[in-house]
Amino acid sequence: MRDIIKIYPNGVRANREVHFGIRSGEIHALVGENGAGKSTLMKILYGVERPSSGSIFLRGKSVHINSEHEAIALGIGMVFQNFMLVPSFTIAQNVVLGSEPMRGMLLDQRAAVKITNNLARQYGLVVDPTAIVDSVPVGMRQRVEILKALYRGADILILDEPTAVLTPQETRELFAAIRQLVNAGKTIIFISHKLREVMEISDRVSVMRDGQMVGTLHTSDATESRLAKMMVGREVFLQLDKPTKERGVAMLQVRHLEYVNEAGREVVRGVSFNTYSGEILGIAGVEGNGQTELVEVLTGLRKPVAGTVSLGDHSITGLSASAVRLSGVAHIPEDRLTNGVALNASIDENLIVDRYNKPPFSRAGFVSHGAVVKHGEKMIDQYAIRAPDGTLPVGSLSGGNMQKVVVARELSANPKLLIAAQPTRGVDIGATEFMHQQLLKQRNEGVAVLLVSADLAEVMSLSDRLAVMHNGRIVAIITDVRNVSEEEVGLFMLGVKQQTQAEIEANW
Amino acid sequence: MVDTPAITNSEARVHERMRIRKERVRGSLIDLVVTLGTIVIALVVGFIVTLAVGKQPIAAYTALLTGPLSQVNRLGNWLQDATTLILIGLSVSIAFQARQFNLGAEGSLLVGAMTAAVVALYVPLPPILGIIVPLLAAMAAGFLVALIPGWMKAYLNANEIVSTLMINAIIANLYQYLLINFLTPEGDNVRRSALLPATSAFPLLADIFNANLGRANLAIVVVLIVVIAVWILMRHTSFGYEIRMIGANEKFAQYGGINTKRVVMLAFAIGGAVAAIGGVHLAMGVHNRLILGISAGLGFEGIVVAMLARNNPLLVPITGLFYSYLRIGGDIMERTASVGAEIVQVIQAVIILLITAQFVIEYVRTRRNRRAAEAKL
Amino acid sequence: MDSALKVIFSAVFVSTILRVSTPLILPALGGLIAELSGASNIALEGMMLTSACAGVLVSVYTHSEWLGLLAGISLAEVMALILGYFHLKLKADIILVGLALNILASGATIFVVYLLTGDKGSSTKLVSLEMPTITIPIIKDIPFLGEVLSGQNLITYLAFIATGLVWLFLYRTRLGIHIRAVGENPDAARSVGINVSAMRYLALMLSALLAALGGIHLSMGYVKFFQRDMTSGRGFIALAAVYLGAKHPVGTLIAALVFGAADALSIQLGNLNIPSQLVQMIPPVVTVVSLILYAIARKRRAAMLQRRFQKTSV
Repeated sequence: MRDIIKIYPNGVRANREVHFGIRSGEIHALVGENGAGKSTLMKILYGVERPSSGSIFLRGKSVHINSEHEAIALGIGMVFQNFMLVPSFTIAQNVVLGSEPMRGMLLDQRAAVKITNNLARQYGLVVDPTAIVDSVPVGMRQRVEILKALYRGADILILDEPTAVLTPQETRELFAAIRQLVNAGKTIIFISHKLREVMEISDRVSVMRDGQMVGTLHTSDATESRLAKMMVGREVFLQLDKPTKERGVAMLQVRHLEYVNEAGREVVRGVSFNTYSGEILGIAGVEGNGQTELVEVLTGLRKPVAGTVSLGDHSITGLSASAVRLSGVAHIPEDRLTNGVALNASIDENLIVDRYNKPPFSRAGFVSHGAVVKHGEKMIDQYAIRAPDGTLPVGSLSGGNMQKVVVARELSANPKLLIAAQPTRGVDIGATEFMHQQLLKQRNEGVAVLLVSADLAEVMSLSDRLAVMHNGRIVAIITDVRNVSEEEVGLFMLGVKQQTQAEIEANW
Repeated sequence: MVDTPAITNSEARVHERMRIRKERVRGSLIDLVVTLGTIVIALVVGFIVTLAVGKQPIAAYTALLTGPLSQVNRLGNWLQDATTLILIGLSVSIAFQARQFNLGAEGSLLVGAMTAAVVALYVPLPPILGIIVPLLAAMAAGFLVALIPGWMKAYLNANEIVSTLMINAIIANLYQYLLINFLTPEGDNVRRSALLPATSAFPLLADIFNANLGRANLAIVVVLIVVIAVWILMRHTSFGYEIRMIGANEKFAQYGGINTKRVVMLAFAIGGAVAAIGGVHLAMGVHNRLILGISAGLGFEGIVVAMLARNNPLLVPITGLFYSYLRIGGDIMERTASVGAEIVQVIQAVIILLITAQFVIEYVRTRRNRRAAEAKL
Repeated sequence: MDSALKVIFSAVFVSTILRVSTPLILPALGGLIAELSGASNIALEGMMLTSACAGVLVSVYTHSEWLGLLAGISLAEVMALILGYFHLKLKADIILVGLALNILASGATIFVVYLLTGDKGSSTKLVSLEMPTITIPIIKDIPFLGEVLSGQNLITYLAFIATGLVWLFLYRTRLGIHIRAVGENPDAARSVGINVSAMRYLALMLSALLAALGGIHLSMGYVKFFQRDMTSGRGFIALAAVYLGAKHPVGTLIAALVFGAADALSIQLGNLNIPSQLVQMIPPVVTVVSLILYAIARKRRAAMLQRRFQKTSV
């Protein structure tokens, strides 16, 4: 790829004269911060976006890739970070979707199963072709995605942050599969920002920053710190300044909490733990193991089937979301941009959704605009939200600033308990740092912080104690977070290892 | 991001605010021009259709566009029709703001008319109370009836378009049944109720101004009060805030602690109460009794009134007046030039189509502008 | 009450059910395809109305019921294209566009009929041709069954055949499975080269075709004239059937038959001494009540699962 320039209609220059070359049969890692332009570059290669200028050469020939369809025809396949699968279809149906084997006018379902089985065997990607995608684990879904690309004859396979949702063990399996693919003559582009994985798996590595290609080097010549320096242009260490702090009272007490979803599946099973004032309790776990539901039960968005939740001396079991908030719980939600803000409403309006019906914002059912505007101004100043005034719709802010609106609202409620779910997912390093500082600040001020995150590095570096969730249960509570390895936490996350009930109870 | 300092320079910020305020004024002007443009295009489409079919297209269209002003009694008809339409438009706009398609206004209107008439006929009331008591009873009835589709949508997630239309059909039949079997006085050949007592009739403008203003009546005053009440409800109360947040993003409202189900249900019900006032106007102002076919298709007419007003309660009277002007004009056109009044429905459909497409274009435009503005900061 | 029971268990009644269900089954199947593609077709009502009107008028002036059918289908397709263009291209809210098309259809049909006949209510002055009825040999001589199954309008048979075809189409053909994929996860479909817009256009057009057949049945089979707003909410009842039928062809067919039975009941009871308004309330009441019962049953099921769990765990 030569001189690739991509300017989005909104004026963002995502790629500036990028050169990028890969050799056949190699594992080529592409690293860079969020927003560095890696995804844009790959979307151009896969035909999702068209470059503003520049050219692409494939096997020596200039090609124009105008759609995914054309990319597929050229032997380029891509596995996206959020899987592109149809949940109610079987695995085989998903693998062949778009170019199904036919028998006359009708689909040949048996052939689809056979094709899937053959591909799976050939590349060592174990799947159950007749299973419904919705019911299989994340690791298998990812293998389905890879099979999909292989079925379409992909020689070049782009994997977009493939390990983001995997446990260390699943990651190892994926790497084994990647090596097998390369042995079979495939070429892999591996997008990541986890430098350790890049060092482990890739042959060469290219680094992007601010839409530009900083350089490409052999992995054998690279070190993690050198790559990190190339990525951010300065030394960055995820070293957090974390003063030791005596923890206070057990602010949040959860006992034997059970939740069954509408489909009748037990998703939270007998969960018990405490969160103390002045500590960060991390909850680690592969996504989809009940963390989302646990948070929604704790914040009153769902009603538990059994068990109790108390805050301080008060039971908050089964209270409504507003009653839970009123009793002193703040919540930074998992999907901030869809649940945490209303894009068409103003900044001011977004900042009062948890307190619009209380003085000074409203009296006897009437809203005081003066108080709302004043509050908005204060928050914009205090949290450095980049906006001239609070009447702008939140949708006109950048992602980082929308995030700040959420944080400003939740922290300004002066909570006793702060629940933060996946607080740094999808944000860049700068915003991540901001979020980490805010969480630590709350902890240091004596707030009980419950941090739910699938990012193992994040929970391990921030938490004072760490609980691990697997299949709806707490399988371990680790008090000595500094001296536990990621590998060991990974074993808990997968449910391979489990503490005894007594061990867990001792650390509630 | 973090390391960039906040805008501390207050002078720059004041400047920025002025600029945004100016932009906003310009934005509303553009809105106005676009809306007027939409109306003009729709009228032109109507004209083309008339041209294609009409025997005297110019005369027909002149009747449509100037008819309502040509005679004093037509002016009266216009005011009277607008009164109903404004109420229906307000009713629809309340639900619209919560992103609900409540088409139940017609049913609530019938229930309102029926309740008001029954109370007026069977409960002896002194003057003034003779208006107020049936009015409040009708609002309560409209509220309760609209609670059903509201409950179905909020708590059972049943499609509100289907439920409101079906409930309208039930009510229309029930109305007829009760009118024919219980309210038509014995010996009356026409199927209609007895005349309401004079204490329960809105005074006619014709009597006040001593001019032939048809059946236009003092319910207009009630409309003005309702417009202001709805505006206060939507813009200055916490309930209005709740409705607007649900409309902006329901999941966000839930997460923030708003009882979204209750609010959605009440949005339907309050809309029902407002629409019921339209029924009161028809029963106690226009006809002074119940008649068969007192309303038809008014739920749909409310959509265009609410959409043209961008759901802003203060603009609904203007768009209601405009739209009923077309309706009355259409009737006059049909009588004088035998071109079907349904041309107005065609115009209405074109207006809705154009506005739905515009909403999106405007949204994209403002978003882009704001982005650019922020980039400059 | 005796006579009422007799009415209900007669062959005429069952035959009536099939007849009055036809203009519900067809648009319901159309609504189903559109719904599964992720584009709700609120304009079913208007499409039916337009084709009912066009069918009558064209058949009268060309003396061909087939040209009438063709005209009805073509106009419904034009409406599908408008709906698709505004929603898929201009990204307008599909519900509002659908409502606008319904208003347009209601106004334009009356306008045109008035223009041609000078009568606003209906086109009874023009006697329409009708779609042929079909007598099935052998079956027609079987008592009861013959009365029910034979001698129905061509389109009634089509409605039942269409149910099977729609199932086959949605679950066993490439286009069908692409339409479902687009409805469930448009990004996934796009990523394997399926054109999302094209699939939704296709779904809306198929939807219009089925709705048009339903409309034609109303004015050229059920009766032989066009009447203002003669669809009287059938397009919306059809949508209700889609939801009640759990978005599956067979479920949709059953739901449409239940609504049809309510309609047939109201027709049969109309012959007895019951006020017509009360009888006419039956179909909408059945629709509303079944929407409520269906939703409550769904909630119950979830609650029961939760309760069962509670018992075993405590």
